[in-house]
Amino acid sequence: MKALMSVAALMGAAGILLLAAMTVGIVPSNTVRLIEGYMPVQVIAELTLFVAGFTGLSYMMAAMGMPFPRFWQGILFWAFLLIYLKFRIYPPIPFSVRAMYGTISLVAIFMWVSANEEDWKKFKQPIMNVLDAKTGGAKALRIGYLVIIPILIGGFSYNAMVPKSEEPIELRTVHPAPPASTKVHGKTYTLQTSQNPYRVNPEGKYDQEYSNANIVEQGMGRLMKPNANPWDKDAQGYLKYVREGGEIFYQNCHFCHGDNLNGRGLHAFAFNPIPANFTDPGTIAQLQETFIFWRVSKGGIGLPNEGFPWASVMPPWEQHLTVDEIWKVVLFEYWHTGYYPRTWD
Amino acid sequence: MGRVAGKKIFSIMALCAMVGLLLLPIAVSLPSLAMGADAPDAVKKEGEAKVEKGRDVYYKTEGIVVGAPAPKTVDGPRDYPRYNFESRVLLWFANQQHLYYGSFVLAVPIFCMVIEFMGVVTKDKAMAKRYDQLAYDFIKISLTAYSLTAILGGILIFTFLTLYPAFFGYLSGIFRPVMHIYALMFVAESGTLYIYYYGWDKMRDGFLKWIHLSMSVILNVIGTLLMFLANSWIGFMMSPAGVDEQGRYLGNIWHVIHTALWNPLNVHRILGNMAFGGGVVAAYAAYKFLASKTDEDRAHYDWMGYIAMALGVAFLIPLPFAGYWLMREVYAYRQQMGITLMGGLLAWLFIIQATMIGILFLSTNYYLWQALGRMRGAEKYQRYIKYLVFILCCGYLVFITPHTIVMTPAELKAMGGQQHPVLGNYGVMSAKNGGINVIITTTILSFVWYMRGNKVSTVSWSKFGNIFMGVFFACAYVNIIWLAIYGYYIPANVRVGLSVPQVATTLSCLFFMFPLNAAMMKGAKQMGAIEWGKISVRSQYALIMLATAFTWMMGLMGYIRSSVRLFWHVNEIMRDNSPWAYTHTVGFAANMISFNVLFFWVSILFVFWLGSLGMKKAPVEAKAGVPGGAPQPAGGH
Repeated sequence: MKALMSVAALMGAAGILLLAAMTVGIVPSNTVRLIEGYMPVQVIAELTLFVAGFTGLSYMMAAMGMPFPRFWQGILFWAFLLIYLKFRIYPPIPFSVRAMYGTISLVAIFMWVSANEEDWKKFKQPIMNVLDAKTGGAKALRIGYLVIIPILIGGFSYNAMVPKSEEPIELRTVHPAPPASTKVHGKTYTLQTSQNPYRVNPEGKYDQEYSNANIVEQGMGRLMKPNANPWDKDAQGYLKYVREGGEIFYQNCHFCHGDNLNGRGLHAFAFNPIPANFTDPGTIAQLQETFIFWRVSKGGIGLPNEGFPWASVMPPWEQHLTVDEIWKVVLFEYWHTGYYPRTWD
Repeated sequence: MGRVAGKKIFSIMALCAMVGLLLLPIAVSLPSLAMGADAPDAVKKEGEAKVEKGRDVYYKTEGIVVGAPAPKTVDGPRDYPRYNFESRVLLWFANQQHLYYGSFVLAVPIFCMVIEFMGVVTKDKAMAKRYDQLAYDFIKISLTAYSLTAILGGILIFTFLTLYPAFFGYLSGIFRPVMHIYALMFVAESGTLYIYYYGWDKMRDGFLKWIHLSMSVILNVIGTLLMFLANSWIGFMMSPAGVDEQGRYLGNIWHVIHTALWNPLNVHRILGNMAFGGGVVAAYAAYKFLASKTDEDRAHYDWMGYIAMALGVAFLIPLPFAGYWLMREVYAYRQQMGITLMGGLLAWLFIIQATMIGILFLSTNYYLWQALGRMRGAEKYQRYIKYLVFILCCGYLVFITPHTIVMTPAELKAMGGQQHPVLGNYGVMSAKNGGINVIITTTILSFVWYMRGNKVSTVSWSKFGNIFMGVFFACAYVNIIWLAIYGYYIPANVRVGLSVPQVATTLSCLFFMFPLNAAMMKGAKQMGAIEWGKISVRSQYALIMLATAFTWMMGLMGYIRSSVRLFWHVNEIMRDNSPWAYTHTVGFAANMISFNVLFFWVSILFVFWLGSLGMKKAPVEAKAGVPGGAPQPAGGH
C-alpha cells in the first residue's frame, strides 16, 4: 500500500509541478499536449491521475507525521480545479461553463470534507479557531475578515451594477428546430420523411447501410475505405454522386467551411462565429440529412425565430444551386467527415 | 365463529361494492363512448350525401366527422377575456399548484400500500405496528392535501373557463366522455379514500386487515387511472390524434386518448409522482426531526425520513430512463419538437433540468454517507467516500455540459467557433447517457455500502462474493464509459439504441447486486445497532434539498413540456392567437417556477401543521408508532 501511495505521491508532485510550469511558461505549454479528438477522455484521465496523485501526497505526508490540514486540502484542490479549467484546456472554456463546473466542484468538495463527522470537524476547525479568536493571530484574522469581506461584497456588487461597454453574452441556438417542411425550387419537402435521392446502392435504391459502409474512416486520418474512392474514374452510383458533391463543395463552400470541412476556410475568420465545424460530433452527426438540406437551401437569412441571434452569413444556396446539387453536397459532407446522418428507425 | 364469518362476508361484500363503484363510471359513460357510433346514424337520417369523412392526423385512418373544427381564435374579449394581467401566468400558477398536490395525493397512497403491506407480512409484531403507524401517518398527511387538490382543481377549471373559453370549449367538446368518467372516478377515489382512512382502526387485525390492504390497491388503481385520463388531455395538446387537419373529431375516442406521447407520459408521471411524494414526506420527516425535542422523536423521524427517501429514490432511479423514452418518442413524433426541446430554444432549460437531476442524486448519496455515521462499524466504508465523490462529480460535469453555450462574442472568437473540442463532445447525448448512468450506478453502490455498513458477512463464500461484487461494479463502469465513447463512432440510430445496454448495465447492478448483497448479509455479524436519531443534521438538510429539487424540477419539466408547443394550443391544430403566444425568457420562467415552488412549500407547511394538530389529539395511538430502543428496522436492510 505504502509503495503504491509513494508512486501516486510522486506522480501528484510531478504533475502539479509540470502544470504550474506550463501555466507560467517555464516549460512550453504544449509539453503534454491535449490532442483534438481525444481531448474529452484525456481531460478526465488527467484529472483522475491528479486525484490519485494528491491522495498519495496526502497519505505520504500523514505517514511522515506532517498531515496536511483538511481545510487546506479542500481549498487548494478547488483552486487547482479552477486553474486547470482556465489554463490547461485549450481552446479556452467560456466563463459560463467554468462557473458551472467550479460550482459543482465546490459542492463536491463540501460533500467530501463533510462526509463524516471526523472529517467535518477537521475541516471546520480553522474556521472555528478564527471565529473563537482565542489567540492573537486568530483575533487579527477575525478583524481582517470583518473588514475585507464587506469590501469584497461591495466590490462585487459595484462591479455587477456598473454600466459596461462589453458586448453582451449571447445564447446562440446552434441547432434551431427546423420547420415541418420546406419549399425549394417550387417543391415542398417534408423534413421528417424526405430522403436524399443520391444515397443509393448499385441497384439505384435508397440504401443508407450501403452508403454508410462506403464513407471514410472516422478518426484522425479520415482514410478512405478500400475500393471506395469517389475520384476513381470508374466510380459509379453513390460514389460518383459523392464526387459530384465534392466538386460543388470545392467550387462554392470550402472558402468558408474549409477544405477539411472543419469550418476553417480561407474566409472563415472574417466571421464571428466562424462557420460550423462539420467534423465535430455535435454538428451534422446529430442531424437528419433533411435538416442540412434545409439549412443549405435557406442559408442564414432563412433561420427561424428560434435561431437567435441569427449570426450566420451563409447565403441561401437555393438561389445558386439546383436541388440535385444541394443533395449531392450534403452527401459529400457526410462522406468526407465519416459521420452517418441521423435516422429515426 | 359465526360472527367472524359474518364479518368476512360483510367485508368481501364491501370490497365488491367498492370494485362496483370503481366500474360504475365506466358503465355510466358507455353511451357517451358510443357517441361516435350514434353520430353516423344521425347523419344518415339527413341523407347519405351529407356524410363527411376526414383523415386522422396521426393514425391516418378515415373516420366520419362528428365534431366541429378547432376554433380560429382572435385576440379579443370573446376568445381571450382577461384581467389586466397575463392570463397565461395565472393559468400556469393554478395548473402547477394543482399538479403538485395531485402528484402528492396520488403518490402517498402508493407508499401507504407498500408500507402497510410490509407491516402485514413482517413477523416481528413491534415492527409491524411501526409500519402500520407510519402508513397511517402518511395517509393522514395526504387527506388534508386531498381536499386542497380538489379545491385547486376547481380553481384550475374556472381559470380555464373564464380566461380561455374558446380553447377549453374545444377541448371539452372532444373529451366530453373522458371528462365525465374523470369526474365520476374522482367520486370513487374520494369514497375509497375516506373508507380507507376512517376504517383503519376497525380493520386493524386479521382478515379485515387484508381487506383494508386490498382497498389501498383499489384506491391506487383509481388514482392511477385518473392520472392517465388527465394525461390524455396534455398528450392530445402535444401530439393530437383522432381528429382531422381542421381539428374535427372523427368519432374514435380511443384514438384521441391514445396519442403518440400518452404512454411515455403515463410512465414518466407515475415514476415522477412517486419520487416527488417520497421527497415531500422525507422533507416532512426532516423538518420534524430538526424540530424534535426528545431522542425518541428524533429516532422516529429519522427512521421515517429514511423510509420515505428510500421509496422516493427507488422510483427516482428508473425516472431518467422513462424520460429518455419520452424524449425518444417526442423525436419520433416530430423531429422539430425534439430539437426545440434538446438542441434549440429550450435547450438551456434542459441543462437546468440536468443540474437538478444531479442535485437529486448528489443529495441522495450525501444522505446515505451521513447515514453511515449512525452505524457502528461503518467507518471502513467512510474513508472511500472521496472516490465516490470524484466519480459522481465527473459524471455530473459531463451530464450538465451545455450544447448551446452562453458566451460573449469575444469568448466565441477565442474558442475559434461554436464547437469546442471538449465541451462539444460532452454536450451531446452519447456522453450524457454515460454521465447519468455513472451517477446512478454510484448511487446504487452507495446503497450497497449503506446496507452492509454495520455488518460483516459470515457466509462461507463472503470473500468470493466481495470480489465478485467489486468486479461486477468495475465492469459496469467500464462498460458504461466505453459505450459512451463508442457512441461517437456509429450511426445515430444505433447510438440511440446504445442507451439500452447502458441502462441494462446500470439496472443489472441494481437487480443483481442488491439480492447478492442481501444473501451475503443473511445472518451477518452485527458490529453495532443502527442508532436511529444519531444522524447528523446535515443529512436532514440533504433531505430537504432533495424535496426542493424534486419540486423545482417538476415545475421546470411541466413548463418545458407545455412550452414546446410554442404558439399552439393544440399542436398544429389550434393556434394560440392571444398576445402571450411567445416563449418566456429563461429568467422569467425560472422566477415563476421558484414562485410556484415557494407557494407550494408554504402551503404544504400549513398541511403539515394541520396534521400535527391531529397528532396532538391522539397521543395514545401515536405512541404506538414511536420506535423504542432503536430495533433493527426491516426496511433498513
